[in-house]
Amino acid sequence: MVMTVERSSPTRIVRASPGQESEPDEWVLRLRSGGDVAEDATRLLHELMVRGARHQVSRMSASHDLGRFRVEEVVQAAADEATMAVLSRLGTFEGRSKFTTWAYKFAILQTAVEVRRASWRHREVEIALVDDRAPDTWSPESVAVAADFSEAVRTALDHALTAHQRRVAVALIVDGIPIDVLAERLGTTRNALYKTLHDARARLRAALTAGGYLGIPESGEVNP
Amino acid sequence: MTGPRPPLDDRAVRSLTMNTQPWLSCDDCFDTVDSRIHELLTEMTAFPEAFHRHLAGCSACSEEARSLAVLVAADYALHPDVALARFEWATR
Repeated sequence: MVMTVERSSPTRIVRASPGQESEPDEWVLRLRSGGDVAEDATRLLHELMVRGARHQVSRMSASHDLGRFRVEEVVQAAADEATMAVLSRLGTFEGRSKFTTWAYKFAILQTAVEVRRASWRHREVEIALVDDRAPDTWSPESVAVAADFSEAVRTALDHALTAHQRRVAVALIVDGIPIDVLAERLGTTRNALYKTLHDARARLRAALTAGGYLGIPESGEVNP
Repeated sequence: MTGPRPPLDDRAVRSLTMNTQPWLSCDDCFDTVDSRIHELLTEMTAFPEAFHRHLAGCSACSEEARSLAVLVAADYALHPDVALARFEWATR
């Protein structure tokens, strides 16, 4: 089976043969085979990653401020990183989707992260401006007397969370700082920040429930 | 921080108070997003609850998943708008 690239406008489509999708196993076999076969498959994989990166860039308004040259740098860097990521994680592909669907997600992730970082490179992230009020200096009553739900959420945000949870929740949700950007500035990971936000949301919901603003906790809800 | 803080807008209130149980990490979301999109575009399979809640709670993961659905639509013989409509249905 020969893998070729159809030069159809406006995008190139990698196919096993004209009109046929390359089977997932073919991709994996060729990428692992070594020699010219692997080299050719890797080149085609990189072209896929470039396509994915261009697609992602086109969807992100943040890329509009970067300039054409910088955008192209981002596309190529993201495609390079995504190609390496695919090759290093080839063993984790389980065939639960098309190989191209599985591979494209690496291109999308790398590009999205690169665009967000590039657009925020020269912007201040004022995450330190949240005081370290302890979470146990409040009571449900302070939430219950709030004028409305928004004020109750504000009260719970200010009093029911740890300082770190408050900083992260404010930065991500109120100030709209992209999670990848915040992770880089704090020297942590997207995963860890999402966990912090997840826990913060659970605490807020618990506080609002205790204050009478939310109903009975749904199954699985815990107060971390 | 000192001094009064501005009121929260509706979007922030909704996002801060959403229920993101059961737990799913960003890594777990990334590991499964291709299969979720594949199942959605081939069989109109709804997203599992944890995946659904994670996309609702993580705007970055949600945008990337949406982007993937649109990008691969043609590979599933679908128009990108159809793939996007299915994604919107799955995340409603």
